[in-house]
Amino acid sequence: MTRLVLILAYLVAASPGFGQDLGTEEQRQRGKEIYDAKCSHCHGMAGDAVSVATAYLRPAPRDFTSGQYKFRTTGSGELPTTEDIKRSIREGMPYTSMPPWEGILSESEIEALAYYLKTFSNDFAGPYGNPEVIPVPSAPPYREDNLARGREVFEANQCADCHGENGRGNGPSALDLEDEWGFPIRPADMTKRWTFRASATREDIYRTFTTGLNGTPMPSYEQSIDEEDRWALVDYVWSLSEDLPDYGTMVTAIGRATPIDLSAGAALFDGAPASYLPIVGQLIEPGRSFYPGVNGITVQAVYTQDEIAFHLSWHDMTAEMSGSNHPSMPVPRFEPEYPDSSEVGEFSDAVALMVPADASEGQEKPYFMFGDAKRAMSIWFADLATDTAAVLIGRGSASVLPADDLIESTATYEDGAWSAILKGRRQLESGLHFAEATFTPVTFSVWDGLNAEHGNRRGIAAWYHVYLEPMETESAALPMAKWALIVLLIELAVIGLVRWRHHRLAA
Amino acid sequence: MNLLPLLLIVALLVAIRFATVRWLPLNRLAWLAIWWVAIYAGLATGIDPPLPSSIIVLFMAIVSLALVAYLSADSDELTSAIKAVNTFIVEPRFRIGLIIVAVAVPALTAFKVYSDLSSPPQPPSSGRTIHPPPPASINVSGQTVNLATATNPYRELEHSDQAAFAEHVANGRRIYFENCFYCHGDNMQGAGMFAHGYDPIPANFNDPTTIAMLQESYLFWRIAKGAPGLPSESTPWSSAMPAWEEFLTDEEMWDVIIFLYEFTGYEPRAQGMPH
Repeated sequence: MTRLVLILAYLVAASPGFGQDLGTEEQRQRGKEIYDAKCSHCHGMAGDAVSVATAYLRPAPRDFTSGQYKFRTTGSGELPTTEDIKRSIREGMPYTSMPPWEGILSESEIEALAYYLKTFSNDFAGPYGNPEVIPVPSAPPYREDNLARGREVFEANQCADCHGENGRGNGPSALDLEDEWGFPIRPADMTKRWTFRASATREDIYRTFTTGLNGTPMPSYEQSIDEEDRWALVDYVWSLSEDLPDYGTMVTAIGRATPIDLSAGAALFDGAPASYLPIVGQLIEPGRSFYPGVNGITVQAVYTQDEIAFHLSWHDMTAEMSGSNHPSMPVPRFEPEYPDSSEVGEFSDAVALMVPADASEGQEKPYFMFGDAKRAMSIWFADLATDTAAVLIGRGSASVLPADDLIESTATYEDGAWSAILKGRRQLESGLHFAEATFTPVTFSVWDGLNAEHGNRRGIAAWYHVYLEPMETESAALPMAKWALIVLLIELAVIGLVRWRHHRLAA
Repeated sequence: MNLLPLLLIVALLVAIRFATVRWLPLNRLAWLAIWWVAIYAGLATGIDPPLPSSIIVLFMAIVSLALVAYLSADSDELTSAIKAVNTFIVEPRFRIGLIIVAVAVPALTAFKVYSDLSSPPQPPSSGRTIHPPPPASINVSGQTVNLATATNPYRELEHSDQAAFAEHVANGRRIYFENCFYCHGDNMQGAGMFAHGYDPIPANFNDPTTIAMLQESYLFWRIAKGAPGLPSESTPWSSAMPAWEEFLTDEEMWDVIIFLYEFTGYEPRAQGMPH
C-alpha cells in the first residue's frame, strides 16, 4: 500500500502541469548569493521591486512576489517556466535598465538565480507552478503578399487603439494605460522593434500575440486570432520596422539652387539623407530626466547660398500644444519623491538644435549641455505650442539668453510623429558660419511635455556633425592623373639610374 | 583577437615556408615581402575591435623600417637583395615584368586617389586619453585635497570595524544606483540604458585597466570634478561625466568609490606606488 502511494505520488509529480521545478536547496542558496550581489539593487532584497533605484526607473523593475512575468512561453496569466526566467536574465530587456547577463553570469549561475527568483512567489510551489509550454512553431518566411491580411487582422483586433494607426505607440487609449501596479505604461512603438522587451524575432512577436504580456494591458490573442492570421499579423508588424536602429554619426546637408520656402513642408527635404540619432535622458545637471519620452530623432538638412534648414522628426505619444516651454525654465535641484506629479498641460512639447555660437577653434566645442562660460552655444529653440522659434545664446544652463539671430520655423504633428523645420542664415550674428564642405558640430534636445520635461529636464543627444555637401564636386580625374604621373616619373628615374649605372659599369 | 584569421595567416606562412624550401627557394627579399603582407593582414583582420586605419599605417611604417633593418643587418644578404633588384631592372628577360610593374604602381596610386576622393567624408574624430594626468591637488567643499597623498578616510574600517565599513558600502550602493548606473550600467560595464547616447561611451569598471590600476584619490578627482574638471591638455574632451561635488557630499563620493571596488572585486592601487 505504502509503495502504491509512493508510485502514485511519483507519477503525479513527474507529469507535466503538476510537477514543480524548484531546483535544489544548493541552487537556491547559490541563486540568493548572486541575487543579493547583482539584482537586489533594483529588484529589492525581498524581490518586491522596492529599492533605491525604483523611483528612477521606467519601466519599473519587476516585482517577483507577484509571479507576473512579461516574457513567457506559457498561457496568458500563467507563471513562466524556469527556461523562460533564464532567458529573460540571459537576454535582458532591451531599452530598459535590465541588461543581458549572458557572459557575465554562467549558465549554471543563471539557472540557480532563476530558481531563487521562484522562491519569491508561493505560486511556483503550488498546483500551477509549472504550467505547460505553448509551442511556437518556427516562423514561416516573411511574405509581402501577407501584409494586406495582416493589416486586416491589425484593424479587426483594434491594435491601433493602443499602438496607433501606424504602430507608433500613439493610439487613443495609449495615454490611459496602466500596468498591474498602477504605473503608467506606454504601448510598444512597432516601428522600433529593437525596443521590444520580449525580444523581436518573428517567433518572439508571434509568441507575444499568443501568450500576451502578463502584468501589462497586452492581452493574449491565442483564442481570438487563428494561427495563420497571427503569422499574417507578425508579417505586418515585421514590415513596420528595421531590425536595428542604425544610428547615424553625422548629418549631410544637400545644396539647393532655389530659396527654401517653409510652406513646402517636409517635401523640401526630398532626397536629403536622413540620420537617426539616439536621444537619452539628461542626467548630468539638475532637472535630471530618468525616463525621457523620446528615444530618437531623425534629422535631414538642406542649404542654399545663404540659408540652412533642418528637418527634425520624432515619435511622441501625444502632442502637448498647451502650456509653454523654454530652456531657461527653472527645474528642481533634487528630484521630487514622486517624479510624475506635474499636471498635464503645463508644459508643451519643444525641440532645439544647437551649434557652437562662434567659429570653433580646432575641435574644441562648447560643453554639450547649454554651452559653458568659455564657449557659448547658439540654441535654435522651437516651442511647439506657439509654432514660433527663437535663437538663444547659452553659456551654461544658468545663462540662456536671447540672441540677435532670427530663424523661421514650422511644425506639424500627425499620427504620433512630430515634424519640425527650423531655418536660419548660414552666417550667424554670433560668428559661426556653416561653410560648404566642412563639418559643423551640432546637437539636439527634445522636450516631451507629457513627461513634464521642461528647462534642463529633457532628452539630449551627444555632439554630432552636420556636413554641407558641396554643390559642385570636382572631378577626381585631375588629382588621379597628377599622382599617377608623379609616381611614374619616380619609377622611370629609378629604372633609368639603375640601367645607366649598369651600362657604365659594363663599359 | 580574432583567432581564426590569425591562425590562417600563420598556417599560410608555414605552408609557404615548406613549399618553397622544397620546390622554389625564395630569396630574402621575397620573404620580407611575404612577412610584410602577413603582418598587414594580421593587423587588419586579427584584432577586435578593428584598429583604425591610421594606427595600421603607423604600425606598418614601423614594420617596414624593421624589415629593412633586418635585411641590412647582414651585408651579404643586402648585396644579394640589391643585386636581385638590379637584375630585374636591367636584364631583358624581365622586360615584360618590369613594364607590368611600371604600369601597375601608378595605376594603383590613381585608384587610391580615386577611392579617397569618392569615399564619403568622415567627421573629425576626437581622441580619448584614457587616464588624463591629475592635478597635484584639488579643492572640494572648501578643502584642499592633495591627490598624491589623499586616502579614502573610510578604507581603514575594512579591517578595524567591519560593521561600519558595511554601512559605507551600502551607502555607496545607494549612491551608485541613484546616480551612476544609467550610464555605467548594472554590472559596471559601461553599458547602462543611456550609454548608447553618449560619445565617448561611459567607462567600464570591470576592465582591469580602469579602477583596478588607479588610486582612490584619482577616482575622487574624476568623480568630484567630472568632465568640466579635465585638464586642458589633450582637449577636446567630450566626456559627459558630471562634476558630482555639486550634488554629493565628500563622504558620499568616498562611499561610492568603496562600492565600485566591492562590486567589481578589485583592490584600489595603494597610495605611494608609482603611477
